[in-house]
Amino acid sequence: MPLNSPLPSPMAITKLPSPSMFKKRSSPSLTSAASYLSALSQADARARSVNRSSSPASTPALSLSSSITSSSEDTVLHEFDADDNADGLALPARPPTSEQVFTTVHTEFGHCANGEYRLTSQHTPGAEVPAHVDQDPPYYILFSTYISYLILICLGHVRDFVGKRLSPKSYKHLIPRDGYAPLNSDFDSFYTRRLKTRMDECFSQPVTGVAGRTILLLDRLSPDYNHTQVFTGTKTRALNISSYNYLGFAQARGGCADAVEECIKRYGISTCGSRLEGGSSDLHTISEALVAKFVGMEDALISSMGFATNSTYIPALVGKGCLVISDELNHASIRFGVRISGANVRMFKHNDMGSLEALLREVISQGQPKTHRPWKKILIIVEGLYSMEGTLVNLPGILELKKKYKFYLFVDEAHSIGALGPRGRGVADYFGVNPRGIDILMGTFTKSFGAAGGYIAGNKTLIDRLRVNGHSGAYAEAMTPPVLTQVIASMASIMGIALPSTSSSGTLRITPSSSCSTAVPAEESQHPGPAPSNSLPPWIQLPPSLASGSEGSTRLRRLAFNSRYLHNGLIKLGFITYGHPSSPIVPLLLFNPGKMNMFHRMMKDRQTPIIVVVVAYPATPLVTSRVRFCVSAAHTKEDVDCVLRACDEIGDVLDLKHGLGKRERWGVQRVLGSAVELAGM
Amino acid sequence: MEGASATLEPLFAFLAHALATAETTFNKLPGSAVIQRYVKSSHQNDPGRTILELILVIFAIRTLLQSRTRADRNGKHFIQFSDKEVDELVDEWSPEPLAQPLTAIEQADLAAVPVVAGPNGPKPKLVSTGKTATNLTSFNFTGLAGNEHIKQKAVETLRKYGLGSCGPPGFYGTLDVHMDLERDIADFLGAEAAILYSQGFSTISSVIPAFCKRGDIIVADRGVNFAIQKGIQISRSTVRWFDHNDLNSLEDALISVEKERKKRRGPLTRRFIITEGIFERDGAMADLPKLIELKYKYKYRLILDETFSFGTVGRTGRGLTELYNVPATKVDMLLGSVAIGLCSSGGFCAGSQNVVDHQRINGPSFVFSASMPALLAVSASEGINILRSTPSILTSLQENVQAAHAILDRVDCITIPSHPASPVIHIQVRSQPGSSLHPSTAATMAIPGKQSNPHSILGKDSSSQDWDIDVEERLLQDVVDEALAQGVILSRAKRLRGQEMSDARPSIRLALTSALTKKETEKAVGIVKAALVKVLGKRR
Repeated sequence: MPLNSPLPSPMAITKLPSPSMFKKRSSPSLTSAASYLSALSQADARARSVNRSSSPASTPALSLSSSITSSSEDTVLHEFDADDNADGLALPARPPTSEQVFTTVHTEFGHCANGEYRLTSQHTPGAEVPAHVDQDPPYYILFSTYISYLILICLGHVRDFVGKRLSPKSYKHLIPRDGYAPLNSDFDSFYTRRLKTRMDECFSQPVTGVAGRTILLLDRLSPDYNHTQVFTGTKTRALNISSYNYLGFAQARGGCADAVEECIKRYGISTCGSRLEGGSSDLHTISEALVAKFVGMEDALISSMGFATNSTYIPALVGKGCLVISDELNHASIRFGVRISGANVRMFKHNDMGSLEALLREVISQGQPKTHRPWKKILIIVEGLYSMEGTLVNLPGILELKKKYKFYLFVDEAHSIGALGPRGRGVADYFGVNPRGIDILMGTFTKSFGAAGGYIAGNKTLIDRLRVNGHSGAYAEAMTPPVLTQVIASMASIMGIALPSTSSSGTLRITPSSSCSTAVPAEESQHPGPAPSNSLPPWIQLPPSLASGSEGSTRLRRLAFNSRYLHNGLIKLGFITYGHPSSPIVPLLLFNPGKMNMFHRMMKDRQTPIIVVVVAYPATPLVTSRVRFCVSAAHTKEDVDCVLRACDEIGDVLDLKHGLGKRERWGVQRVLGSAVELAGM
Repeated sequence: MEGASATLEPLFAFLAHALATAETTFNKLPGSAVIQRYVKSSHQNDPGRTILELILVIFAIRTLLQSRTRADRNGKHFIQFSDKEVDELVDEWSPEPLAQPLTAIEQADLAAVPVVAGPNGPKPKLVSTGKTATNLTSFNFTGLAGNEHIKQKAVETLRKYGLGSCGPPGFYGTLDVHMDLERDIADFLGAEAAILYSQGFSTISSVIPAFCKRGDIIVADRGVNFAIQKGIQISRSTVRWFDHNDLNSLEDALISVEKERKKRRGPLTRRFIITEGIFERDGAMADLPKLIELKYKYKYRLILDETFSFGTVGRTGRGLTELYNVPATKVDMLLGSVAIGLCSSGGFCAGSQNVVDHQRINGPSFVFSASMPALLAVSASEGINILRSTPSILTSLQENVQAAHAILDRVDCITIPSHPASPVIHIQVRSQPGSSLHPSTAATMAIPGKQSNPHSILGKDSSSQDWDIDVEERLLQDVVDEALAQGVILSRAKRLRGQEMSDARPSIRLALTSALTKKETEKAVGIVKAALVKVLGKRR
């Protein structure tokens, strides 16, 4: 079956003649490289599938039939491509044995039964937290990157100059007209028009279906150099290593989805109002209590949008006369909130404790600007896990400083909650510190929980104050019941649910408590415990694997393994990556702007299409354009293999391996073969 | 002397040699001849110019070097401390507590917030009492909450898409259902395109800074809601205010801006009028045709927040544009709330393709936020279908509104600033006799000749405010409690006192719904009336 099928994507077929001006104009040499590579990758994929099918473990026919018989139809068959596994995504590479029962759909949440591919996400006590190091590429890469931008900018200006004279119509919206100033001036929009437009193929790709292990792309073409996109009407299934689906809870089937369906039937879609004005329901109370329990704080509140959690609650925390010290790479929502609050802001170098301490000494001794009055309060805002760098905050370091400098600490766990720590409770859990040492914990449900919205947790006084003073409480719509249910169900299945009668909480937790009990001090074993059974509404009935917490812990451990394996694998292959090895966000540095387009397309046009997120200026510094992988627990080891193999091939063609020296590098087969060793490094 | 010059001889020789070498090397450099010629000729023409240029070069070098150091450290306000002194200062410093505990009143208010057990709707069950009550406070204007057809669609969507989209729109978070809803909204309104935000409240505070930058001019109503205030604040634009819902005052403001610009001869900047369809603060309604006329006359763009008018007024709920029969294309940015108008979640901004595309890159809460869950988008699309196909919903809503007005108009201890067609009815305490004029009706009492200061959000009557926030809030809360005891859920309009740019007069906010029959509405509003009379009557 895999042999005779052509590439499934029409994008792939139309790839070469497709009108990307980038390829045509600024790097004609790469076009041949691309065609070379696509031919290479096809040939290679065929060779591999032959290898696989001829391996003694399974013949293709057998694998198809056995997978259907041994697991329920729900778990493998899919409405679109059940009979066509050419891309290797619909069916597991290793057919399940008779005793392995999978309850998930393979395209949503991959089947992986191998217990070796598991790891606990945990900081080694006493070890140094690695500082953020920017590994520099060779000078010729830096040089060519700058030159690329220079060429792009010059070309852009020339095109503007000529275009304005030859075709003034297409510049109509950029110049003043009948007394109206243009909505965006041609200078402000230069970057968007002349640089970003060239890469529009990589952004805003519409999709359909579940953003799980794989995702269904709505194929599109641009007939006019990316000014418009036309849908071809076909769909391509691709391996999804881009969504923030860390624990794989983006599922249309399974216990959480069942609970949400029950909720829609009972509660409807909306609670019709803001929290303070008739939009509060009992589900809000329940989920806020559960969130507080999950993160280990006294109380928590929930907001219906992650961005708004920061932008509408930070102004309720600080105001005039207060100082916010913010990491230079903090998310836009934090900056938005701080700007609205009217507090003074200072920034420190990304995750650099030395810079933070120097700044603290300066601001406390100097006081407010001009008046030199002491600051009312100083709030340090950091993120647990940085979404573009993959760096983990140096929490022990900051807590050490907190003792001396008496500031308040706000940790934005948008990406780290659920994704880090032996029990998924975020950075505090990862470092084994008491979350109560942090004043404000903020996080989102969009990522690990497969829901939407965000929360803020802290002590009771603080949360009540925020309920009254935060902008969202009075004005923004409350979170809707289906989303709340997804939060409750996924969170409870990470925690595990305690049986009502049993008094000892530890006995219920099967895997995680045994592996991590050492990290938990005896007096606070209360905190990372299971959810009390009365903390869930009675109508949410989770299947046993979820309710016991065993599946939750498997997900955590699969995520930890996948993250470390991909990260260390890429390093061994010779790539430059950023961030902490335990981070599920793995940025791979590309540098040259042209390589972003190429990398994206070459990944998408492979036999097994892979979709990636490429980020460039202004989200990153100008030179360090990168591709960002977001690993998920839904990925199997084979999926990570697939990504590594793809990176290895494309890395050679695009000259991306500038990390380890040639001698220290490993071959791709060696990397794939020693996955367990790599992950444990 | 001679001895000295003799000893310096080798030095002079060296200097002369060095100079010669420097000169030859300089001459070898490509382009050096040009520079030399330039310096020579400029010096010949005007020796002062050489000095000036030298100073310029030195200055440029100095600025270049300086920009690397932080201004704060070198500023004249910076005080040098020794490490020991810093340590002492650090020890001395004690911050304020992070959050002040709630006052008794705030606690009581928080405890009095109605919490619904189970689904919300026209007659929900309350957690506090365990009984059902008639709901006159939740935004369920067209009765879409609990609609079985929508629920069924939502479940179907859940089974296809899961719940969360797990990504921002730019990175694989754009689903086909989002594009469908955007198209549905644009079609419904008759606009060219629309863009979807994942929270209604955050929509306008993101749209405003996407378009209005430093130096641009915003002319806004004094009574705009909190989200607009925050959007204006973050945009850093120049703001001028006009009296609440007073278009004469708007025209005055527009004229004065034009005068100012002419005087300053500044460049042409973007200019925006920002106002609301039905005002969140008091339910007043903007005169859209007049607004459009003014906007075209003075060449402004109109940002219209239809949060409370989309899905509530017009023949099929299309909002103000339908009510006044104005094409939606004449409003440059038309914002609405999917959460309030369609009982789902999120907000939208409709406008021309250019306006929408601009936001897809520049709207902070669009770019940096995850897109809305698929099933909420589908529910909203279904809501639009229902509104389109059943105009009777809006008719019965309007009947209820009229019925409620008919009852409340006869109560003499209150004033109602809301428009007669608005399904959001604000009830304010009527001022004690003695102060005859009421500030909330500023539009009607505009005294000719006396103009407000457009630079300040505080209107001309701000000094003569004759109401006390705390007293009125207590009174109204008593009304709310009394009505709840009689089986009607009410709510005061909650405000963030101290954070708003100007204080709105306390009010009780009724939100009527077509899900209640006329009779039920009359009965519930009758209870409200009785509670008002009972509590406010006592005051006299």
